[in-house]
Amino acid sequence: MSLLREAEKYIANQHAHGFNTFITPLPRAGQWLDRVKQADKRREQGAPKSPIDGCLISIKDNICTRDLPTTCGSGILSKFTSPFNATVIEQLENAGAVVAGKTNLDEFGMGSHSTNSRFGPVKNSRRDGSGHDLSAGGSSGGSAVAVAAGQCYAALGTDTGGSVRLPAAYTGTVGFKPSYGLVSRWGVVAYANSLDTVGILGNKTSIVQDIFRILNQHDERDPTSLSTFTRSRILSQLQAPQLASRLTSTPLRIGVPIEYNISELTPSVRRAWLLSLAYLQEQGHTIHPVSLPATKHALSAYYVLAPAEASSNLSKYDGVRYGTRVEGPDSDGQPDSYLYANTRGSGFGGEVKRRILLGTFSLSADAMDNYFIQAQRVRRLVQQDFNAVFAAEHPLAAVQDTRLGAEQIDILVCPTAPSSPPRLFDVTGPSSGSSPLDAYVNDVFTVPASLAGLPAISVPVTTSQSSHNSSAGDVAGIQVVGQYGDDELVMKVGELLEGKRF
Amino acid sequence: MLRPWPSSGAVRALTRTVHRPLWIRPPNVYFTTVTPSHHATSADHIPLRKQLKQEAKSLKAQKKQRKKSEEASRQEWELTVGVEIHAQLNAGSKLFSRAPTSASETPNSNVALFDLAFPGSQPEFQAATLLPALRAATALNCDIQPVSRFDRKHYFYQDQPSGYQITQYYEPFARNGWVDLYDYDGIAPEDGSTIRIDIKQVQLEQDTAKSQEYPPSTQLLDFNRVSHPLIEIITMPQIHTPATAAACVRKLQAILQACGAVTTGMEMGGLRADVNVSVRRRGDAPGAYEYDGISGLGQHTEIKNLSSFKAVEDAIVAEKNRQIAVLESGGVVEGETRGWTIGSTETRRLRGKEGAVDYRYMPDPDLPPLVIGEDLVSLINDNLPTLPDSLVQTLRAGYGLSIEDAKPLIELDDGARLEYYRDVVDILRSLYTDQDDQTQAALARVAGNWVLHELGGLLTKADRPWDEEIVPARSLADLIDHLQRKLITGPTAKQVLAAVFEGDRRPIPQLLEEDNLLLRPLSREEYLALAESAIAQNPQMVEQIRNKKQLGKLGWFVGQMMRTGEKGRVEAPKAEEVLRKLILGK
Repeated sequence: MSLLREAEKYIANQHAHGFNTFITPLPRAGQWLDRVKQADKRREQGAPKSPIDGCLISIKDNICTRDLPTTCGSGILSKFTSPFNATVIEQLENAGAVVAGKTNLDEFGMGSHSTNSRFGPVKNSRRDGSGHDLSAGGSSGGSAVAVAAGQCYAALGTDTGGSVRLPAAYTGTVGFKPSYGLVSRWGVVAYANSLDTVGILGNKTSIVQDIFRILNQHDERDPTSLSTFTRSRILSQLQAPQLASRLTSTPLRIGVPIEYNISELTPSVRRAWLLSLAYLQEQGHTIHPVSLPATKHALSAYYVLAPAEASSNLSKYDGVRYGTRVEGPDSDGQPDSYLYANTRGSGFGGEVKRRILLGTFSLSADAMDNYFIQAQRVRRLVQQDFNAVFAAEHPLAAVQDTRLGAEQIDILVCPTAPSSPPRLFDVTGPSSGSSPLDAYVNDVFTVPASLAGLPAISVPVTTSQSSHNSSAGDVAGIQVVGQYGDDELVMKVGELLEGKRF
Repeated sequence: MLRPWPSSGAVRALTRTVHRPLWIRPPNVYFTTVTPSHHATSADHIPLRKQLKQEAKSLKAQKKQRKKSEEASRQEWELTVGVEIHAQLNAGSKLFSRAPTSASETPNSNVALFDLAFPGSQPEFQAATLLPALRAATALNCDIQPVSRFDRKHYFYQDQPSGYQITQYYEPFARNGWVDLYDYDGIAPEDGSTIRIDIKQVQLEQDTAKSQEYPPSTQLLDFNRVSHPLIEIITMPQIHTPATAAACVRKLQAILQACGAVTTGMEMGGLRADVNVSVRRRGDAPGAYEYDGISGLGQHTEIKNLSSFKAVEDAIVAEKNRQIAVLESGGVVEGETRGWTIGSTETRRLRGKEGAVDYRYMPDPDLPPLVIGEDLVSLINDNLPTLPDSLVQTLRAGYGLSIEDAKPLIELDDGARLEYYRDVVDILRSLYTDQDDQTQAALARVAGNWVLHELGGLLTKADRPWDEEIVPARSLADLIDHLQRKLITGPTAKQVLAAVFEGDRRPIPQLLEEDNLLLRPLSREEYLALAESAIAQNPQMVEQIRNKKQLGKLGWFVGQMMRTGEKGRVEAPKAEEVLRKLILGK
């Protein structure tokens, strides 16, 4: 099938399915058609620009594009178009790819079901056994469903605490969060800078890998982008025989974090996890229980740190220089008051306001020590936990960890989410009785890797339920987490499990 | 209130008087002369001269009274002041973007995406902006920190596009410095001849946008200034008199200018001061409050945004007296932020404790730590320009200048006047290499007078900014040379200077030759004739000089002789000598 035919099929799907995946879909006609045709020619001549030349890639709507609006799913940016392209957009376009539209998301990336959007909730393309709509996961739910529903070749999302991996798990796609600092954040609208990463969603790990290799470059415009020097240092560290031999000539030592076996884990997810481990063992790898004791505090730490940074980052939205202002005067009629109290009040949605308030509180002088500082300490402990179990040393750690004689492993394998996707009605309906905290719990397995800046991938596996007559079986996301910089190994292990039916 | 007025030429000229106290009319004279109609219509007409005298006298009395009551309150109350200075660095780019810094460009023309807080934009620290900051911190004897960090200080205001200012709150780049103040810096007499004020820290931070209010409903914002690199200098609360606080700010500005850390001073808005003020009754137990590591203080208030040295002093006096009045009437001083309007007599409350802003300081997650190497620190140290105190020393010892002349030479025109002065002296000295040291020293003193007072007077009168090309150093040196060799008279020299100032570009020797200005000395007989004629016309004044010893009136006769004699030929000293002989017989 030609790239053009493929693209037309994606666009047809974009317009056919009502999953509310796109805030700005790609117009059927446009200059992009010529670019795909040119890519087709290059492919015929055997000289494609890259593995993704002419491919349609959806972009989460918190990544800046010059040609399409960037709303972040927010009322305050509902009509905003960025004057510049994010670095990742430039990289994709230089590789010949075409932006396939801007996907729906939780406002500014804050949410776990892609329901906190000014443009309405995203629907999962899968339904449960009784035909109910399911949560797509969040916050990159639009990108994940666009991939799952055949509306694009692949998609970019952002992952701050699991926002790429959770929707991948809920939609049965592959979602990869690289090590922090590898992919440029220039042009990625900040939610929590110290945690934000650009993630990649695709139907196959190999697609994700192709795109990652294009994006994995130093960018001088992003002050947190890893320098070329550090990149080559990490690379040579990985080429040392002991690390280079993993999976090629020596079997993997696979860690199973015992703290992840929580009571909230649903039987089907636990089953998928066990069968995945059993499968890897069959392949000759060894399984080792490891302890990550700080895990139980990680979620709380995340929900202190991320809102703190968010409250700071979002204070720029005032409708003065850009963005949507409310009609009429905006100062409660008082001459001394701010120009934008009402603008912020009506521009932000409920969850964003909640996190701004949380963050404002935890940074306030009286609460700082008990919340923000404490959470930073927990974050450090989480990092030390990981460093203690990985055989590979953290390439950026100033002082090497004291290894407590614990078992050293190459990679961690655990579930991505504690359950399969909940019904959309249960997480949005007014009578659902679900509190914001219930949504936060979905991030319990994804947050630790975010706090530590580690690479992690979620791949779908299917378990056939003996008790069920459903022929489709249950799809669950299995997460693979590696040491900092071990992104390629993480993807390779993901590929071993991806799409397996047990 | 409309805000654009501080940039108008009139006010700039007025505020300049702070720097040029030597030839400006006292402001009270200026103001009384603009309201003569009131006095003209009153029944008993008072001559202007008398009126001026009376007013000067009553002002003096008021000052004396104020001084007395200030001294009384000082005896009973101890004042404590800490100063915070915000200074715009002499930097080519903004702190976190490559956009150029500019004060005068079209509004909103020099802004990068990050300066406007566009979504997805990130800071890019401009290492070069660190250099002026390091010069300042080094000149202030600070310890440069090998690692410092940037924090976000949050508050909402439309001149702050990101909703926070990036500053260095937790870990500033410089700590533990000091500034020495001397009597000639204008410190209060009770502080003796010198006092050392410790600097707690110096931090890098961003400036805000310029905002202009046009009530009731218009705000104009110019983001050219946003993110202009600033340093904030925080002194320890170790100052105990208003005059010393003002001297401290003036001295800090002089140091910053001397080391090239800043380009403009307070008069152009390049420097702003906040002061913390507290009082404590002497003899009482130490106060319960502490800040910046100094304890035992009374509750302090902060006065924000003082824009002149006089404002610093006046605001502290007013705030101290307010706090004393509050305490003496049994009240309690509230920890609050206050403001000051130029020309006011009272500080005004801006916001109290309950309205205090919680800035929610947070380490900036996008910015890496600032690492400053030893090599850079020593490079800056080795190349630091001479600082004001050692310049004062040089000008006094090496040039024989009085402190009154040395100070303005250093402070005027960001050092350009001093440069010019040195050029003039160098040329003069090259013409007098055969002369002894005393003559050489005299040259420097005379040149100081001409550069500061004669040339300075012409500049003030014409309201022209400094420009070394108006009167080339060579011309002034030649002029002084002719005067020193008694080839022209003083009045002629002044007249020629004015001509050159107005644009006469002929070399001095040629000008003097062509305009026939070289002195052809009068003979003794000619002096005697001039003197005798003047004496004959004013016998009663001669009597006054002889009998009442009103020797000052000799000068009047000298003037008469110069007026009646041939223009440019009567030399005042010779005329006086002849007069003395004739009138007093000696």
